[in-house]
Amino acid sequence: MAFPPINPNLSGPVLTQRIPGWPYADPKGRHVVSYEEYVKTGGYEGLRKALGMRPDAVTEEVKASMLRGRGGAGFPTGLKWTFLPKVKADESGREEDAGRRYLAINADESEPGTFKDRLLMDFDPHLVLEGIAICCYACRISTAYIFIRGEYHHQAKVLEKAIAEAYANGVFGGKGLLGGASTARGGSWAVDCYVHRGAGAYICGEETALLEGLEGKRGWPRIKPPFPAIKGLFGRPTIINNVETLAHLPSIVSQGSGWFVKQGRASSLAGQMGSHGTKLMGVSGHVNRPGTYELELGITLRQLVEDPALCGGMRKGKKFKGAIAGGISMGVLGPDQFDAEMDFDIGRKYNVLGLGTACPTVFDEDTDMVAVARNIARFFKHESCGQCTPCREGSGWLYQLMTRIEDGQGRTKDLDLALEIATSMGSMPGTTICGLADGNNWAVRTIMNKYRGEFEARVRPTFVPVKVSVGAMARG
Amino acid sequence: MPSITINGTPCSFTPGQTILQVANAAGIDIPQYCYHDGLSIVASCRICLAEVWAPNPKTGQVEPQMGGKLQPTCQTPAAEGMVVYTDSPKAVANQKAVMEYLLINHPLDCPVCDQAGECLLQDYSYEYGRGVSRFEEQKVKQPKKDLGPHVLLYSDRCIMCTRCVRFTREVTGTGELMVAGRGNKEEIDVFPGVPLDNDLSANVIDLCPVGALLDKDFLFSQRVWFLKSTPSIDPLTASGDNIFIEHNQGQVYRIKPRTNPAANRWWITDEVRYGWKFVHGDHRLASPMVRQYGTLVGCDYARAYEAAVEGLQKAAAGGKKVALLVSPMIACEEAYLLASLVKAIDPEAVLGVGPVPVRGRDRIYPEGADESHPRSFKMYAEKAPNARGVRRVLASFGPVLEYADVLRTLGAGSGRSDAGAVLVTGNYPDAAWAGDELTGALAGKFVVLIDTLTSAAMGEADVVLPSATWAEKDGTFESARGHLQAFERAIPPVGLAKSEGQIALDLRAELDRAPARVSGADLMVVNTTPGQVAAAVEVAPPRSKAYAAAAVRAEMASRPGLDVFSTGVRTPEQPTAARTDMPIVAL
Ligand SMILES: Cc1cc2nc3c(=O)[nH]c(=O)nc-3n(C[C@H](O)[C@H](O)[C@H](O)COP(=O)(O)O)c2cc1C
Ligand code: SF4
Ligand code: SF4
Ligand code: FES
Repeated sequence: MAFPPINPNLSGPVLTQRIPGWPYADPKGRHVVSYEEYVKTGGYEGLRKALGMRPDAVTEEVKASMLRGRGGAGFPTGLKWTFLPKVKADESGREEDAGRRYLAINADESEPGTFKDRLLMDFDPHLVLEGIAICCYACRISTAYIFIRGEYHHQAKVLEKAIAEAYANGVFGGKGLLGGASTARGGSWAVDCYVHRGAGAYICGEETALLEGLEGKRGWPRIKPPFPAIKGLFGRPTIINNVETLAHLPSIVSQGSGWFVKQGRASSLAGQMGSHGTKLMGVSGHVNRPGTYELELGITLRQLVEDPALCGGMRKGKKFKGAIAGGISMGVLGPDQFDAEMDFDIGRKYNVLGLGTACPTVFDEDTDMVAVARNIARFFKHESCGQCTPCREGSGWLYQLMTRIEDGQGRTKDLDLALEIATSMGSMPGTTICGLADGNNWAVRTIMNKYRGEFEARVRPTFVPVKVSVGAMARG
Repeated sequence: MPSITINGTPCSFTPGQTILQVANAAGIDIPQYCYHDGLSIVASCRICLAEVWAPNPKTGQVEPQMGGKLQPTCQTPAAEGMVVYTDSPKAVANQKAVMEYLLINHPLDCPVCDQAGECLLQDYSYEYGRGVSRFEEQKVKQPKKDLGPHVLLYSDRCIMCTRCVRFTREVTGTGELMVAGRGNKEEIDVFPGVPLDNDLSANVIDLCPVGALLDKDFLFSQRVWFLKSTPSIDPLTASGDNIFIEHNQGQVYRIKPRTNPAANRWWITDEVRYGWKFVHGDHRLASPMVRQYGTLVGCDYARAYEAAVEGLQKAAAGGKKVALLVSPMIACEEAYLLASLVKAIDPEAVLGVGPVPVRGRDRIYPEGADESHPRSFKMYAEKAPNARGVRRVLASFGPVLEYADVLRTLGAGSGRSDAGAVLVTGNYPDAAWAGDELTGALAGKFVVLIDTLTSAAMGEADVVLPSATWAEKDGTFESARGHLQAFERAIPPVGLAKSEGQIALDLRAELDRAPARVSGADLMVVNTTPGQVAAAVEVAPPRSKAYAAAAVRAEMASRPGLDVFSTGVRTPEQPTAARTDMPIVAL
């Protein structure tokens, strides 16, 4: 099968330009990019250019690029930054003091099947740091905390070393960004950057639970409003962005938003924002070459899996059965949705929650989807923070039901009950505080709906006495 | 005033109120577990959700908010023109779902649970639940835990509303409680070696909407539906905490806080909650006593009254003064009646206030909070409910001596005194008030002691009259906050006790009758055999008025300086809802 060219609007990788990987190079040559190497290959030029622009102009540029968050929700990054309280300036352009503001970098990456931020932190930490610096300047933030997943021991060390290098070379620290370089804002802009290790809870990836974690508290998502941009970390305005989102900033600033918008595609749905730029897609499951690929948004799942330059087809030539769209919270793409485009329209078009992290887990024909559902339910019951009644109790119930069904002890009515439980929870119906329950809802519901036959085959039919109106009994 | 509509009822509100607060104020029932007026809002139990519609600012059309998804009423601020439904199919479906969820891991052991009868799970199951559960799996089983000196935790009954955790963080600032674990395995717990032991610890029991946090003192002692609840005032400290006395068949079982935003807000201290034990203590004085041949012996009231009045009058007639020592533990009305009595016996009588116990220093919770903050709680070091009221009342009769001055007047230190008789009241929750300095000062005088517990003061008493505790009578206390607060009798007096007010009235009646008899006393042969009527005296007992605090207040108010008692006394709100399940049928 002939596929369209990979990354048609690019001559080479962007985020992974210093990290060898398919389809451009053999990953064998990977190594941690040092400060010297990073600068020699054009590093920190984006930041230098940004400092020559007024902060609001940087934000405008990011807005114009239509960069959308890579952490899961796909929220427009530039727009998020404008939610911060406005900073007033006098006639001469001198800005008032914006007070303490924080940037929290979401490096929690705990979504099962997702391993994309990890690649950047493993090998090119300065790219992330440069993105952090640009964001801090644009949003007038002077303190950045990288909240990194507890299990990422190695990555935390790499980042810490890179931060030390950055301090030693004047990127961060009291003198101001890039050794106290003067900025278009007037004067220099100083940023401090810290790594904060998580303690191994998935929920701490949720942005407000992350803030609680940074404050040293139990990772319980906060109720909103107030939103973090107004009242976030330590009660101050705070921006939370994903690692990959920030890593896009250096190239957007140095090459311009026009360059970025040319990549990817406009939305095929009326009135929706397009999906632009590249995305790191970590593919796992039953494919020949699992791994993380940097691809323009809009590539089809089929090409990602079957293109010989990418995953190289299904393992052992088996048939495609389905895939988790992008992290298990998003639900699954069914057997007939192999041609789904990996972009931000995927949710509306293919009845999943969204693109998520764009890290699909691919299932072949031998996969037991009931077992998949049970395993996913186990994950959510284990990771529910336990605040909201529907998520805390519903996730446990759902897991027990799924286990029973998988064991062949279920009945037909259990399927409906499981669907009802799944559907009842989530921030979208409004019954929970955060989106973890939506993930449980969508994952279990889409699997049960798209593979209903498998579930029905697993349960014993419930005996329904003839000539008795079950409806009337149920209403009573 | 702006207004919103909740389930079809228009309700006005003050900006800043949440929908649930508006509903609570308007008496519209919206189920709620995690919300509490005195704590921060977490919106985590999710039972209060509603469909909320609001006018579109552009078109004025009333439209569903947030795309029609359910919203927590406890968190969502009311806004002009909002239309809220907690009875829509979607809202009701959520209530049923949450109830079913909360019950799946609940042990449903109501028959052996102390909370049964006052449990929000039970109440809401009835109103908002599903009736049957479809849960057939294994329940999560959790242990019972001893959290501290007063509180037990039945973890498996907990619904994770976190009210208790927030209380220890936000009100006491001590933070003993925490949530441990995650998901449906999480539990309330304390840190090892740090028990839940603070001055307000037992309030978590009241806060707990279910039977998870229970009172060790009350545990298994009574089913709550047998309890009657009488509004009352803290009888032990100067803070004037508003309380309920919960009792059955003349027996107090527990004390609960009664909300008063101007005083104790929602809470009471543990010392107030558990301080009532002396009411049914072993050392209650059960009957009147007079001193006979050097020993106190039990007798009837008639004889005790007679002896008391005779002794007091004799002292006054002998040119000595009568002194009255009113303890700060008794009500204003009683102080008034006693002072009137003593002044009638001896217009020159010395009036003084009994010892006012002080322990520690005043404390504000949370530590460092401003006293005027609507969520702060002040605990007073002064451990007497009515020192101010007693002073106020006595002052209307003349100069008032503080305790040390009373002792000096009685001759402590000098041994010289022109007081010949003393009427002393106690009613302290323990006997420590009657120390050596008091007994020393009383020695050698004619002493009438009106008290509740046995104490060293009895050693000097010539007549002992058993008095009723605050739970057994009406009255008014003036708190350190400056509130005059009335309380009602909850239980009948224990044993033969009478309130100090009643005793004062009885003595007054005895006094008013006495001159007729005393004139010929020398000639009489008096039979003092216990149980026998004195041979030559009138048989009719003195007829006194019955003590009724409200009537005494009306009388007091006409006295200069005491007019505040006409309108300035706060009486507990009477429950208005009439019970309709017992219609009165004319026969
Ligand atoms: C349960 C849950 C887990 C999440 N975990 C992560 C995560 O591990 N990493 C991440 O970047 N975003 C995660 N998110 C999304 C964040 O809440 C947030 O949307 C994101 O960090 C914003 O950054 P972005 O706009 O740059 O994408 C999670 C969200 C939820 C509801
Ligand atoms: S939805 Fe689940 S994970 Fe999210 S806050 Fe509620 S209980 Fe916690
Ligand atoms: S113990 Fe009671 S008050 Fe505390 S969280 Fe559980 S149910 Fe709520
Ligand atoms: S009372 Fe509103 S969520 Fe608990």
